[in-house]
Amino acid sequence: MSYEVMVGNKACATGVKLARVKVASAFPITPQTTITEYLSDMYAAGEFDFDFVNVEGELTSQVVVQAATAVGARSFTCTSGPGLLYMHHPMQETASKRLPLVMAVVHRGVKGMQPDHSDLMSQQWQGWIHLYVENAQEILDTCVMAYKIAEDKRIRLPVAFGYDGYVLSYTAEPVEIPAQEEVDKFLPPYKPMPSILPDEADPATFGRGFGDADPQKPWQVHHEAALTAEPVIKEVFAEWAKKFGRSYGNGMIDPYRIDDAEAVLTAMGTIAGSAMSAVDKLRADGKKVGLVKIRSFLPFPRNDFREIAKRIGAFGIIDRSCQPGMGGPTWHQMRSTLYGQPGPQILGFYAGLGGKEVRVDDIIKIGEKTLKAAKGQKVEPLVEWV
Amino acid sequence: MSQRITRAQVPLEELTIVPGSACQGCGAALASRLTFKALGPNVIRHGIPCCPDAVTKHPRAGAVFEGGGASLTGTARGLKAIGRTDVKAVGFFGDGGVYDIGFQGLSAAAERNENILVICKDNEAYMNTGNQRSSGTPKYAETSTNPIGPKSRGKETQKKNVPMIFAAHYVPYIATASVAFPEDLIAKVKYARDIEGFRMVIIQSPCPVGWNFDSAKTIEVARTGVQSGIWPLYEIEHGTSFKLNYKPKELKPVVEYLKPQRRFRHMTEAEVNEIQTYVTERWQKLIKADEVHQVVI
Repeated sequence: MSYEVMVGNKACATGVKLARVKVASAFPITPQTTITEYLSDMYAAGEFDFDFVNVEGELTSQVVVQAATAVGARSFTCTSGPGLLYMHHPMQETASKRLPLVMAVVHRGVKGMQPDHSDLMSQQWQGWIHLYVENAQEILDTCVMAYKIAEDKRIRLPVAFGYDGYVLSYTAEPVEIPAQEEVDKFLPPYKPMPSILPDEADPATFGRGFGDADPQKPWQVHHEAALTAEPVIKEVFAEWAKKFGRSYGNGMIDPYRIDDAEAVLTAMGTIAGSAMSAVDKLRADGKKVGLVKIRSFLPFPRNDFREIAKRIGAFGIIDRSCQPGMGGPTWHQMRSTLYGQPGPQILGFYAGLGGKEVRVDDIIKIGEKTLKAAKGQKVEPLVEWV
Repeated sequence: MSQRITRAQVPLEELTIVPGSACQGCGAALASRLTFKALGPNVIRHGIPCCPDAVTKHPRAGAVFEGGGASLTGTARGLKAIGRTDVKAVGFFGDGGVYDIGFQGLSAAAERNENILVICKDNEAYMNTGNQRSSGTPKYAETSTNPIGPKSRGKETQKKNVPMIFAAHYVPYIATASVAFPEDLIAKVKYARDIEGFRMVIIQSPCPVGWNFDSAKTIEVARTGVQSGIWPLYEIEHGTSFKLNYKPKELKPVVEYLKPQRRFRHMTEAEVNEIQTYVTERWQKLIKADEVHQVVI
């Protein structure tokens, strides 16, 4: 174990190294680029032996690591914003082939250079596990854990973990680096299942299936696997907490001061950090507001929120993306999760889109409005732009 | 360069599963049969959408249409990472996936000199979707997106010179082949199999449905294509060394190739002459290249 002050992108590269990735491929895009540079530096210095494929675009980077994973080499890729949109097509295939790839998404909004969650949120239908991360330490830890989640036989799905570009990718924080041998005990070598090698008794075919009796079946199986990820994520995070002494809630959600809360805010990524400060200030004024940092967006922590909903008066949902014509994805998920059970009001707040700054004071106002709703007072509007 | 083989040296074992999804007289199905005979069993076959999708006894790695070069790259790098470079990463792609939608990724793989073998069965249009033009379609050919009418004479431009473009990446091996010359095809695929680095064999594969000729005449059409200089058979090593594999004393007139195919039936004498001039000029360059053993463009 050692400590180093490092930026988010270096924490990510360090996680890739600790996970003993064999093949990586990526195309540079701000703010993801320096991950690939840190990895290349590690290789050049002889610290990390892996194969980096310098491709000509994000689409092919996804296809390269997909194929390498199928053969049996643990693989990694990373991108941001428009690069992720360009990867859209093969991403569906990575998940349909049930390949346990891990990808870092360094958030960059799709309408500009600055961070919001519109990049990863636009990929909700691709069948991946989506995790959202708040700080550099969590990037490193999540990168290693993501492989254990992805490679679990019960799910075998690719994992994308997102963290806000600039504010996290380029900001230095002290990070604890676990010892390689401890990580090796936590994360065993990757064994593909099934194997595609021609000498296997029953080599696999990856790709389109023909003549399935029930053409709907692949979707059903995929959906069920994604739902099964919830207990797996919780197990893996519990094991990490036990081995390395750092925990992030139960893996699905990371609650902060919610035990006696009347109103609970939810946030993802770096906004959750500011929201913790806001909660502390609200508490200092005697206002019973708590925070849930959503770590796993897909699968959505339905069971956890249904429990929390039983004892609070209102949720204030902060969305850092908006699907035009539909609304905030977290707000929608929460309303869907709690539909049909008596429970709290669900207020929506758009904040930080296009990289707009979200101040602690903004979140205090969100908390006060949500608390008002929790006390049964009428609040307007139900959803607002902060 | 590849070594000539005799018919007796053609491997007997069939690795392509028939009938597959091919039509009667499908040139590409024959290309698959010959190619995988030559390659043997120790192969991961890579497929992308194409017509017909070859079905063989090998494990198959499918990829998105535009991902042929990248999926081969990932397999080759993965095999290296797990210490299994004995297994060959082979792609069996159509002209759509090589000339057009997958061109960028393949060019990048060639530039990186990935250890992969690309077999292109070139049937000169998007046959999977019903004969729409590709950049592999020859000039004046009628396709479903180049119908003949008062304002259209078929495809407007010459076929993209993909073998020479990939040769210009200075990769170890590029070859053209034809289903009408099976010994030459097998020799080239076998030679390509055992080279390290980027290799590509482009096989002209007549399509009776799209080219609109009698499905019993596939071999005749393919053979006339080679004999008339429309589809010359050659090999290029490292982008420079050149060898012409089939050199008749005299080329057949291109009209003998064009006439049996209804995709060319609308062509005027002047248009046929234009193609004849184009083919003759290119052929003279190939003859010159063969004499000096160097690529001449």
